[in-house]
Amino acid sequence: MQPPNPSVADRTGILAGRAAMIVRPAMPVRRRAHFRRRIQLWGAVFVTPTLLFFAVFKYGPMLWAMWLSLNAYDMMSAPHFIGLGNYRSLMADPIFWHALSNTLVYIAGSTTLITLVALGLALAVNSAVPGARQCMMLMYLTNLMPIIAVCLVWRFLFLPYGLVNELLHLVGIGRIDWLTSTTMAMPAIIIVTVWRFAPYFMVVFLASLLAIPADYYEAAELDGAGAVSRFRHVTLPLLAPMTFFVIVVSALLCARIFLMPYVMTGGGPGNATRVLSMLIYETGFSYLKMGRAAAISVVLFGIMLVFTLAQMRLFLRAEQSVSR
Amino acid sequence: MKTPLPSGHRVPSRQFGRRAALRMAAGASAGAALAATPLAQAAAPIDISFWTFDNPQQRPWLQKRVQLYMAQHPNVRVSFQWFAFADLGKKLSVGFATGTAPDGFVSQDWFMPTWLSKNLLAPLDLQRLGYASLDAFRSSLTPAFVAGAVQDGKAYGYPLWFYGYVNYLNTKQFHEVGLDPVKDAPQSWDQLGEVAKRLTIKKGNRFVRQGFKFAMHAAQWTMIQFNPILLQCGGTWFDATGKSTVNNAAGFKAMTIRASIARKYGAEDPADSIATNPIPQMDWLKERCSMFFSHPLPMATIESQNPTMAAQRYFRPVQWPGVVPGKGFSTTYGFNLVINMHAPKHKQEVLHDLYRFIMSDPVDCWKATAPFPLALKGGWLDDPAVKNYPFLHEFIRARDTGVFLPRTVIFNELADTMHRTVQKIMLNNADIQKSLDVAAAEIDRATAQSKRG
Repeated sequence: MQPPNPSVADRTGILAGRAAMIVRPAMPVRRRAHFRRRIQLWGAVFVTPTLLFFAVFKYGPMLWAMWLSLNAYDMMSAPHFIGLGNYRSLMADPIFWHALSNTLVYIAGSTTLITLVALGLALAVNSAVPGARQCMMLMYLTNLMPIIAVCLVWRFLFLPYGLVNELLHLVGIGRIDWLTSTTMAMPAIIIVTVWRFAPYFMVVFLASLLAIPADYYEAAELDGAGAVSRFRHVTLPLLAPMTFFVIVVSALLCARIFLMPYVMTGGGPGNATRVLSMLIYETGFSYLKMGRAAAISVVLFGIMLVFTLAQMRLFLRAEQSVSR
Repeated sequence: MKTPLPSGHRVPSRQFGRRAALRMAAGASAGAALAATPLAQAAAPIDISFWTFDNPQQRPWLQKRVQLYMAQHPNVRVSFQWFAFADLGKKLSVGFATGTAPDGFVSQDWFMPTWLSKNLLAPLDLQRLGYASLDAFRSSLTPAFVAGAVQDGKAYGYPLWFYGYVNYLNTKQFHEVGLDPVKDAPQSWDQLGEVAKRLTIKKGNRFVRQGFKFAMHAAQWTMIQFNPILLQCGGTWFDATGKSTVNNAAGFKAMTIRASIARKYGAEDPADSIATNPIPQMDWLKERCSMFFSHPLPMATIESQNPTMAAQRYFRPVQWPGVVPGKGFSTTYGFNLVINMHAPKHKQEVLHDLYRFIMSDPVDCWKATAPFPLALKGGWLDDPAVKNYPFLHEFIRARDTGVFLPRTVIFNELADTMHRTVQKIMLNNADIQKSLDVAAAEIDRATAQSKRG
């Protein structure tokens, strides 16, 4: 039976103790305690700048934004407290609901497709198809391109008589108004998102695939399992933790999407691609309603918190399963 | 500085002994000390911060004038910064919020109500700018500018450029279909539709050439192009109580006209455009459409995108069509030099002098920034270099007959709402009245939020 996992404090103590033993095995108790205190003090000294950095540039602004969401603030005169007024007016604003629903649709659509496409690409690369590795490198380039350039290029590709429609025309598909139709604008942005992020997650999946021992497949093959069976009963279960990781991380990425709809469609046509981050930007910096913008950002923060908590639970579960 | 001796004053040479020399030296020192105080003040370095927007012609000229001023006033240092056209308003808002707004800046005309509603602009000392009175100031400038810059008997903006929109025709394409670009230039909206229809070339359902194009790329342009149609139809943006009236009969009529080029005449494909924010006229410049409403276009812009059109000059700006034929007018707007209310008094004084200096050579301004007309009615139009500029009379007429954009603190919300509405109607064939009703409700909501603070 394994001993229970030591707590972080215990671990620190153990490490300090071990360090002390390495430095001077026969150190007296008093000197050892002094040494441990010095180690802890230095630890605090090293950690303080980082903590200060987070306090000033991350948690401070977050708390300030939460407080601001309870105020009316136009950036030019002093904020004044209005309680939940911003949240109440958001609840009554159809544009907010539209943006919220767009954000959720975008997260769901992009995350699902990113996961499927990334897994498919990783399997293809892993299957020793000639040239697959070279293709992988080319695909990964989509991640290295500046996002603004990606958006502008795709905007022109999606023109009514752009390259995408011309290619579709060759196979008999008529004109699609990708960016100017309310039904097609969001799918178009999801396509670009998948094009951009799937290769990145493909690498993540590929690393996991390579870590699966070949013995499992050999054993399954000896038991008469076909390719589909091996994928279903060996690959997928062993990839499960990584699949959850990809889903959660890509969902977090998508929740913060801003540039793609901003550059490609400007949130239109109508409100078809207006997402929460765009609404925050417009409300704060274009309409000068910073309190209201802060309230929307708190809502977005709530959505992201759900995904983050899911991710944390997932990691804990994965850690437990590994330790078992 | 040398002070001449009073005439007839002579120093008697025989009294000029050691004592006298010491007395003189002491006196001179005392005099120098007394004189040094105001002199030091005048020469004390003054740092001014100044922001403007970027533009290939206007920003370099403004910067040149500021540098000239600094050369003449070595104690004045102007930190001259510029930002993208669409970013300037946001930068200024953040600047005011954080106490880092510049001492002086160029304000886009439509932002004046926002700054004024928050008391962020200092009233201008018109006499310091060279005007005898407010009336003299008013009468020397184009009325649309005055309407935005003067409030409660005080002027808050000193104008640079002020211009209206014109209808740019591709005269080669007019001739191709047997139209005369002078005689057949559309005078009314119906004529615009008919002429655009004749100019349109289609291959099946696909437009090879659109007869006319409305801008669809940005909210600001949607407002600029819809605003005069609404006013021509007798409409207004708000009633006396501040409620949106864009969905009344006049608004419906205006939007029906706006939609007619595509819906009734089939002369436009609203989804098919290569316009970008930097060059909204791209479809017209690339001859993908025959007519387009634009601000005066510098030759450099035409040359950069279509050298043949520039060389052969097959274009012509004419006035906007009207609901009443021949009585068309467009939107006008401009740019004002303004002073931050929180700038120290001595900096405000220097900024007055700087602004007066900047605008003291309007002919140079025109030469460097043509064809953007100035808001000044006189003092530059008689110069031969100005007079002979092609189509100048069209630009001046557009400036003087034009109407300004709605003066409201919710201008950006209004523009975004109207842009969404136009998109729904033009791109997704939405019902005009229903879309305008939704727009009016959105505008009223924005007004209510703005009143709540």
